[in-house]
Parts: sequence; structure tokens; C-alpha cells
Amino acid sequence: MNDDFRARARAWLAANAPRRGSGEDDGESGQTTIADQKAFQAKLYDAGFAGITWPKAYGGQGLTGAEQIIWSQESRDYDLPSGAFFIGISMPGNTLVEVGTEEQKKRYLPPMLRGEEIWCQLFSEPGAGSDVASLQTSAIRDGDEWVLNGQKVWTSGAQFSDYGAILARTDVSKPKHNGISMFVVDMHAPGVTVRPLKVATGHSPFNEVFFDNVRVPANALIGEENKGWDAAVVMLRHERIAIGTMGSSRTSPLAFDSLRDLAAGLGRTSDQGVRRDLAELYARSKAVQLFALLLREESQAGRLPGARGSVAKLAGSELGRFAGDVAADVLGDQLAAFDEDAMAAVTISIIAAPGSAIAGGTSEIQRNIIGERVLGLAKDPGVDRATPFNQLRVGTQRQS
Amino acid sequence: MALILTDEEQALADSVRKFVADRSPLTSLRHLISSGEPYDADVWKQMTAQLGLAGLTIPEEYGGVGAGVSALSVALTELGAGLVASPLLASLLAAEVLLRLDDAAAKTELLPRIAGGEVIATVAVASSAGGHVTATGGNGGDVATLSGTISPVLNGAEASVLLVPADSDKGTVIYLVDGAADGLTRTRLTSVDHSRSLARVQLSGTPARALAGDAAAALAAASDLANLALASESAGAMKACLDMTSAYARIRVAFGQPIGAFQAVKHRLADMEKSWELGHAALRDAARAGDAEPGRFSVAASVARVLLASAYADAAVDTVQLHGGIGFTWEHDAHLYYKNGLSNKVLLGGPGDQLDRLADSLGI
Repeated sequence: MNDDFRARARAWLAANAPRRGSGEDDGESGQTTIADQKAFQAKLYDAGFAGITWPKAYGGQGLTGAEQIIWSQESRDYDLPSGAFFIGISMPGNTLVEVGTEEQKKRYLPPMLRGEEIWCQLFSEPGAGSDVASLQTSAIRDGDEWVLNGQKVWTSGAQFSDYGAILARTDVSKPKHNGISMFVVDMHAPGVTVRPLKVATGHSPFNEVFFDNVRVPANALIGEENKGWDAAVVMLRHERIAIGTMGSSRTSPLAFDSLRDLAAGLGRTSDQGVRRDLAELYARSKAVQLFALLLREESQAGRLPGARGSVAKLAGSELGRFAGDVAADVLGDQLAAFDEDAMAAVTISIIAAPGSAIAGGTSEIQRNIIGERVLGLAKDPGVDRATPFNQLRVGTQRQS
Repeated sequence: MALILTDEEQALADSVRKFVADRSPLTSLRHLISSGEPYDADVWKQMTAQLGLAGLTIPEEYGGVGAGVSALSVALTELGAGLVASPLLASLLAAEVLLRLDDAAAKTELLPRIAGGEVIATVAVASSAGGHVTATGGNGGDVATLSGTISPVLNGAEASVLLVPADSDKGTVIYLVDGAADGLTRTRLTSVDHSRSLARVQLSGTPARALAGDAAAALAAASDLANLALASESAGAMKACLDMTSAYARIRVAFGQPIGAFQAVKHRLADMEKSWELGHAALRDAARAGDAEPGRFSVAASVARVLLASAYADAAVDTVQLHGGIGFTWEHDAHLYYKNGLSNKVLLGGPGDQLDRLADSLGI
């Protein structure tokens, strides 16, 4: 049965998906490719490879983690042009599967898998990053609706998303974790403004999103009122697992194969330091992949990764930083300036490397999670945990 | 080809762990330190006769168990966690060399006795800085005399059989040297790691018998197995450090709270957990490759060794540091792991050598 699935996946990928290596990995920002991505996701769905572990009632395949592992293994060397759906399916999608109402699951999950509707996640704010529970976007009840006001940031794919899962404060008189709710928000609704956010590399892979009296219906609530933090924890867990087990392309500019070839091209492979760096990069890359595989095997055997997803996330970020260091060592003074396209890709990747230790939860937050939930160490005393939100100092606001 | 343990492997791990707790807790290592004995002969007898550990990788036709590399890795992980002193690593590597050579007489004569623990055998190899041996004579025949020095050699003082690679007129050949041979001087050294007995082996016109077979291939296979073995022991010992230090950080209070609440402590332990998970995943891959994909074993074992040798050495230092003053006392177990970590990192090829070898294998 598994062999059948593997053979089917392999054949379908060979016939329908481009192999990695074209260099163009910009599925998240290119508005022009969205129609193509939607078409590809629809093909993926029709072929039976979308929502592999989701229940059939919501458009999934109703299969097990075993098939999910096989799919990940087989698709690793393909550039699946459906990246715009990655966040929606792995984060809001998985969260709705766990905590959504029956109505929400029936309404939102199938179109996501069929490539009809793209989703984004709206958590971070300018004043609430690692401490996302100190968020200030408000949702105020008005009859059968909620009215949203505030600003979100670091939102991937907001510019082409149809829906978002947003966290907003619904009770400022409660301590910060106890006054938050999660909603489905229509990204095309009046009052939603999306602006690209330019980062250190000069690219704009994220957005800022402004909400100005945006109205959402009462049945848009995900989970219970003021229990949004519980739903957020579910989504953040899925986010860490998705990022940590995403696997990296063998052809990205900082991958071992790419840097080995670069070093050979620059005549740097006779340098013992470079050789050792590359060998260590191979070892560390391999270990990150193998740990992701181990977590998947454990899930399949009924042992869920839980907070060990944070180990995968932390390890992946550190690998990115290390690969950046190795690349810099390989380039030597060629890092300082470039005019060739090949050098541009690796140099931009070096500049981008620190971002992975911030995006999706900083490495410091992952270490807190690992320490507290994997190793059972005492929590930080958290002076803010019992204070009503409206008496709390948050973000960079000054105490008056 | 799963990375997680099979039920059989889990059962083996449990039984070895129980054996270590019952028969060789850390207090017995302290007895060995006081008595000067290299290992506890009764424990060794049980490890071999009762648990069959010396024969795990020796086929049944030669009196072994033929259980394979993954089973070996599982057992060594538990022995490593308990810093069990024994000549097991020396015997395993000697058996691997014999198995890879083509000397039927030596295999038949020695392998069953190595598997049973009656013969302690070792391979006299060290880094290029550790000396070398030259063979003379033996024109056409297989008897030669060896001269030279090798140090440090695993259980070199206790072994009754030594396999000695030497430069001969036919290139590198592996010679069999009897522990009682003339002109053989073994001097037990002061091992940094209290659980490992190491010696300087001096040969001066020592009679030896040349063993038939490809010496370079046999030594390469032994290096791969040594990498797997030291990575396994290091993984077990590193987990022991992680568990010990996490437990201490949960109960030791300073400034009004358990020290594990402080990020300076918590983050260091989180990094230790991360490094252990990565090394352990790489180790499981190497163990599986050893049984199922021999063509991949050498690189996979190097990867596991490179990661775990450094990760364990770092974790052992952090174990001392995070315990504070108590962690630097003789009375506390932290220094036993710290010294084991230092030694495991460099024995039979340190990190630099390993990375150079890995770079060669990867075509860099």
C-alpha cells in the first residue's frame, strides 16, 4: 500500500512538477504567478496529494503520517509551484482541523486544498513579536459583528491572500493571555490595507497589514471568545513543525552541494579550512534532515513531537547561520562586492541568513520552549502574567 | 529503514541499561580508579558470556551473535551512558579487522574466543604522531620481526593478542603478535579518561605472523566501526550529562528560584538538547546504514562521530559549568564525563582528521 503510494507520487511528480534547480524560488512574492500556483494546487488536489492526513470530509485524503513522510521524501527535489498555499494549509488549515467549528471546516478547508483560496497568518505586531500575547489590535463586539482595528506585521503572502487568521484583543481588563480571540478575516473586506515590507536584503517578502474598522461576522470566531491564545498555541506548534521539518533544497545557494561547487569553481577546495567547513556543513545539514525524519517517524508511531518541533526550528535556523558563515569563508573577499548573477544569489542568501533565527519565533523563544517544555525547567517568573492588560507596559511604549 | 528503535533494539537497550545500573554503576568506576584495575573482570565476563556483547558483530559461524551494527550501537549507547570500563571497543575493532582480512586460520582460531571474551585482542593503531612499526624479514613466508612504537593503544597492556599494522616490503601488512612474544613491551599509561585503559606498545625484533588480506581495507573498515562505536558511547554519555544537568537545574535554587528558570542556564541546556537530538538522529542513520546500506556506512558513521564527538565534549564541559562549584569536585561525577568526552573526541582520529576524511569521501 505504501509502495503503491510512493510509486504513484513518484510518477506524478516526474510528470507534473519541475525539478529544483531553476533558481527562481519566488513563489511567495510574485503576484503574476499566483494564477499558476492556484492551477498547480488544483492539479495536486485532483491527483490526491493535497491534505494527505486531513479527513476526507474536509477535502483531505484521510491517509496517515506514513504517506505524508513518503510525499515529503519524494517531493523534496521538486520545486512545487504552490508555495502560496504552504502557510495556509500548514498553519491556519491545521489549526482549523483541530479547533475549528464544523461549519468553518466545511467552508474553508476544501477550497484551500483545491487551490481556490489562499490564507495568511496575522499574529505579529510592531509592538508584539516574541511576546505576541501583548498584541494591541482590538476586536470590539458590535451587534452580530466584531470590529477590528490595529496593525499586523511580517505577514507572508498578505498581498494575495483571500483570508487570514487574526489574533485580536477582545478584553483589555483581563491579563494579556486571557483577553485574546482568534478570527477568520476576509482580506478583501473594506478597511484592510496591505503594504509590502522591505527587509535587509532589499526584497519585500513580507507585508504590513492595517485594519481600519474592518467588520467580521460573529461566526468568524475560531475557538472561544477570549480563548484565542489556546488556538494560537496550536497554530504556533504547527508553524514550528512546518518550518522545522520543511527540509531544504539541495540547490539553494547555501546548500552543501551548491557551496561545494562554488568552492571548486573559485579554486578554494585546496584550502584545508574550507574543506573542513564544507564537510562539517554536510554533517550538520544531514543531521537536521534526519532529525526531521525521526520526528515524522515518531509521529507515525503515535509519539507526537510536541515541543520538540522547537528543536527542529532552532536547528534549522542555526544551520542557516552556519551555512552563511561557510559561504562567507568560501567567498573570501569576493563577498565584499559582486557583479555576477551567481555571486548575487549566494551573497543575498548570506545577508538573509540571520532572518531565519527571527522568523516564525526567534531562536531565543525556541530555547525557552525547549527548556521549559522538553526539559521541564522552571518557567520565567513572568511579572506580566497576572496583570490586567490595560495596566501593562507593552512594546516600546513609554511609561507615562 | 526506520530511524526509531525496533522492539528488539528497545529490549536490548533496556537490558543493557539494567545491567549497567545493577552491575556497573559509576561507583564501580570509582573503585577501579582506587584499585588501579583497568576494568572489572566479572563485569567483562557477564558482558561477554551473558550478554554476548563482544560477539554482536561477529557472525554465528565464528561463535558470535551476528546481530549487526544497529544492535551494537544500541548496546554501546547504554554502556557509554554508564561509563562502563571494559576492553569491548578494543575487541570489536580487532574482530572487525580479522573479519575483513582473508586469513581463515586466524579467524577460526581467534574470533570465537574474542566473541566469548576469553581473548582480549586489540589493534595497535594511533595517529601519525603516535609512532609507527616496521617489519623485516619474512621473505616469501609469513613470519617477520617487528620494530617500532605505537601509542596510545586501546587495552594495549591487557591484550593477549595484538594486531599490528606495519610497513613491510609489500606495503602495509597487518601482523599478529602474541601478548607473550619476545621483545614486546607494554606500558600502561595514565589515561585522561578513567574508563579507558591505554598503553604504549613497543616492539623490538618482536616475532609476528603476517595476516593475509587487504590491510588498508581492513583498517578502513575498523575506522568506520570505531566512528560508529565512539559516536554511540558519546551519545549515551551526552544524554546522561543532559539528564543529570537538567535534573539539577530543576532542583537547585538561587536568587529565589530554580536556576533552570534563568535563561543563561535554560538556553545552554536547550542547546545541549538540540545538539543531542541532531547527533542522535545522525547516529541512528549510521547504525541503520551499517546493516542495510553498507555503501553509505563510512560517510554516515563519520557524520555521527563528527557531530557527537564535539557535542558531547561541549556538553560535558557545560555539565561542569552549570553545576557550579560542586561540578568541579572530585566527588561529583561531572569530571568523569568531562574526561571521557575529551578522550572520546580524539581517540582513533580527532575532529580535524575526521573532517579531512569526510571531505575526501564527499569529493570536496
